[in-house]
Amino acid sequence: MTIQTSSDKDCARAWKSMPWVLQATAPPEERDWLMHHLAQCEACSGEFAQQSRLRSALSLPTDVPVDADRGLKRLLERLAAPEPEAAPIRPWSSANRLTRALAAAVLLQAIGIGALGVWLWSDQAPHYRTLSQPALLEPVGALRVVPAAGMKLADWNKLLHDLGLRVIDGPNDAGAYAVVPAGPASSSVSALRRLRADRDIRLAEPVDNTP
Amino acid sequence: MLLQRMAMGDRAALETLYRAYHGGLCRFLSRLTRRADLIEEIVNDCFWIAWRKAGSFHGDSRVSTWIMGIAYRCGLKALRQRGDEPVDDYALREGRGPSHDPDADRELRDWLAEGLKHLSADQRIVVELVYGVGNSLDEVAAIMQAPVGTVKARLFHARVKLRNVLPTLAGDPPTQRENRS
Repeated sequence: MTIQTSSDKDCARAWKSMPWVLQATAPPEERDWLMHHLAQCEACSGEFAQQSRLRSALSLPTDVPVDADRGLKRLLERLAAPEPEAAPIRPWSSANRLTRALAAAVLLQAIGIGALGVWLWSDQAPHYRTLSQPALLEPVGALRVVPAAGMKLADWNKLLHDLGLRVIDGPNDAGAYAVVPAGPASSSVSALRRLRADRDIRLAEPVDNTP
Repeated sequence: MLLQRMAMGDRAALETLYRAYHGGLCRFLSRLTRRADLIEEIVNDCFWIAWRKAGSFHGDSRVSTWIMGIAYRCGLKALRQRGDEPVDDYALREGRGPSHDPDADRELRDWLAEGLKHLSADQRIVVELVYGVGNSLDEVAAIMQAPVGTVKARLFHARVKLRNVLPTLAGDPPTQRENRS
């Protein structure tokens, strides 16, 4: 810890006061106090003399010759001249073209992503059915048919064709197919009768959707 | 008031203000650069802005403080654009050597130049504004757009440097007290 003597404190105060006393902006009592201190302190007195000289030197006119009349003339000419117009923006400058191309690419990409999102949203249902899903309800008039294990595919197709039937589901775990009349001319009742008469058909029965 | 007249497009008011401030501004700017052409350009930039902004002056500060602030910013901008270092200007004067001109003003200028070349541009500006123009610390802070504490510090360090490098009046060696606050 430094213990300041009264004299040091006075010198510090004098140091602070000098510029404002020289400016004549310090309060009169501060100026009087400084003059009193300077009369007693040789160091501060020398400092104040140097500060006074500094102020005198800085108050001299500049030694850099600058012609006021010429400068004013140029300023007035500048004021009289029309203000330069802002450079027009060239719509197809190279930088501008690149910006536009990038913007178009981003826009196109955004549209594509949006369309893809809409398509995915509207097509939620998969095109397949898992075994854990409940069986689709067969339409009215559907028949459940179990062909014999040894029945040839060609015979099965011919039978369906002759009876005007088409497969809409199956085979399930028991080997049963769901078939319906292919057109209004076909009758599921007569088809059922003929299916039961066929020796290659092990089972033929109407589908009952009622639980 | 001249600025009000300028705001209304009175060019005679501009001429009056220009002539009134030209000397002071040139001296102030000569602390930044010694190039006469650049000083003229900065002064004209300053009054170009003053002409256009005169209507926005509401008397929050003295007119001189407002104009000095504009000139200071124009000066820094001009030097920045040219890549000039303001401190170099005073360093160039060192090559001239001490003047043997009997003229007292010349001697005083050389004495001053000897001291100012050791200061940074900011320190020279603060010294000019306080000792040359007579601004308060608050006004210097407004002109330089810097906190008052920063201005105080610049003034303090400038004074310490000047005390140590300037030849004293009586030819005594410089004192070395630097711990005053």
